Amino acid sequence: MITREIMDTSFHTLSPDHSIFEAVELLKKSSEDEEKKIFGMMVTDKENQLVGMLSMFDILLFIQPKHIRILGEMEDISFETVLTGMMNRLKKIRVEDLMSTDLLIITPETNLMVVSDIMINKHIRRIPVVENNKVVGIVYRSDLFFHLMGKITE
Amino acid sequence: MPTYKGRSVISGMVVQEAMRCVVNRINVYSSIESCIQKMIRQKSNAVLAETDDGKPVGVVSKTDIINAYYAALPVHTPVSDILSKSPYFCNPSDKLDMALDLMIKKKNHRIYIREKNDDVIGTLSYSDIVGLLYRYCRKCEKSRRKPEDLDNQNLPRLIVNDVMTSGLIFCDVNDRIIDVIETLFERRLGAVLVKNGVDAVGVISKTDLIISYAHNQSKEVNASNIITMPVLSCSSDILLSEAVQKMFIHDVQRLFVSDHTDNIIGVISLSDAAKARSGTCKACAASVLLEGVSS
Repeated sequence: MITREIMDTSFHTLSPDHSIFEAVELLKKSSEDEEKKIFGMMVTDKENQLVGMLSMFDILLFIQPKHIRILGEMEDISFETVLTGMMNRLKKIRVEDLMSTDLLIITPETNLMVVSDIMINKHIRRIPVVENNKVVGIVYRSDLFFHLMGKITE
Repeated sequence: MPTYKGRSVISGMVVQEAMRCVVNRINVYSSIESCIQKMIRQKSNAVLAETDDGKPVGVVSKTDIINAYYAALPVHTPVSDILSKSPYFCNPSDKLDMALDLMIKKKNHRIYIREKNDDVIGTLSYSDIVGLLYRYCRKCEKSRRKPEDLDNQNLPRLIVNDVMTSGLIFCDVNDRIIDVIETLFERRLGAVLVKNGVDAVGVISKTDLIISYAHNQSKEVNASNIITMPVLSCSSDILLSEAVQKMFIHDVQRLFVSDHTDNIIGVISLSDAAKARSGTCKACAASVLLEGVSS
C-alpha cells in the first residue's frame, strides 16, 4: 500500500502571483473538473516546484474581521456591509501572501499507513506528492479513507 | 456570542480575560519576506522574533519592515538585521491596569503574555483594550447613558465632529512611494490620504507599504500603484458609535471624515473614539489610563 496507488495526478495548481479572486475561481473550476469538493490547492512556481498550499480556511481566516467578537454582539450590522469590508480587504492580496509555506510532503513510495498517521496527527486534509523536486500528485484524506476502508472490507 | 453583563468596569480585570491566545512568531533568521507574509496572514502589526530554541529576542514591527524597504534591503534579508525593539512581558494573572501602565511607560502597543515557565502564550494589544472598552461602554451600568436608554433618540450623543482631528496631511498620486514613506515617518502616521489634484482618491497605510515591498515593487514608482481605494470615510455628523462600528467592520484604525459636500475635512481614530467614550465615565480607571497611550 503506497501513495502511488491513490494519489490524484490530475490535480490543478495555483501560481503565487494569482489574485485571491482568481484563486477562488480556480478552486471552483477544479472542483467541477475533478467532480469533488476541492478545499485547497497546491501553489507551484514556473519550474513546477511546490512553493506553498492555499486553502479555503486561509482565505476565510483573512477576510474575517479582527474584532469579530465585538461585531458578533452588534445585532444592527447588515451582512452586506460586512461583505463590502471583506471584499475590499482581498483586492490587493495575492496567493503568495496567504499561502502556507510550512509544508509536509510525501513521495509516491510513501507507505499509506504513514500518510494516514501524518494526516491524523497534523490534522491535514491533503498532502502534496513530490518526486525529483517536482509535484507529481496530491493525496486527499477522503481518497485515503475510502481506499483503506475498501481494503479492510475486501 | 457572549456579552459582558456581569461587570461594569474594566478595573479589576486580569490580563487573561483580555489577551489573545495567539502569538505571531518567527525565527529570527527567517527572511523579511516570510515575516511580511505572517503579518498579512494574521493581520498583525508585529511579529515576535525567536531564536532556534524558542527564546524571544525582539519584535519586528511594520515600521521596521518599512525602514528596510526604505533602505532598499533585499526581501530575503534575515529579520535579525532589522530588529529594533525588545518584547515586553506580563503574566496572565497580572492586573489589566498594570499591563496598560506598562504600555504607557514603554510607549508600546503590544505586550506578550508569559507563563511562569517562560512560555509565551498570548498577546495583549492596545487595540484589544480599545475593543474591550467599547464593549464595556456599550453595556456599562455606570455609564451616564444606561443600556435601556440606547434607543432613546432624545438623549444627547457624541457625534464624529466632536472627536475628530481637523487638518490633514496628504500626498499626491504622483508622489513616489519613497516620498510617502518619508511623510509617514516625519509625521508619525499610520496612513496618509492621497489626493489627485484637489480630490481625495485613496489612502496608503503601512500595510499597503509592506505588501508593496513583498511584491517587489520599486519604491521609486508613483504612489498610485499601491493606493487603496476608495477612501474609507464617514460623515462628520454621524454618531460616534456608528463610526467605531465601521472601523471594526473594515479592520481599520481610522476613518477620514467628510463634510456635507463630501470634502475630507478630518480624521478620526479608534483610540480617539475610545477616549471620548470613556471620558464620560470616571468610574473606569482603565479608560483614564488609556489617555496616556497615543495611537
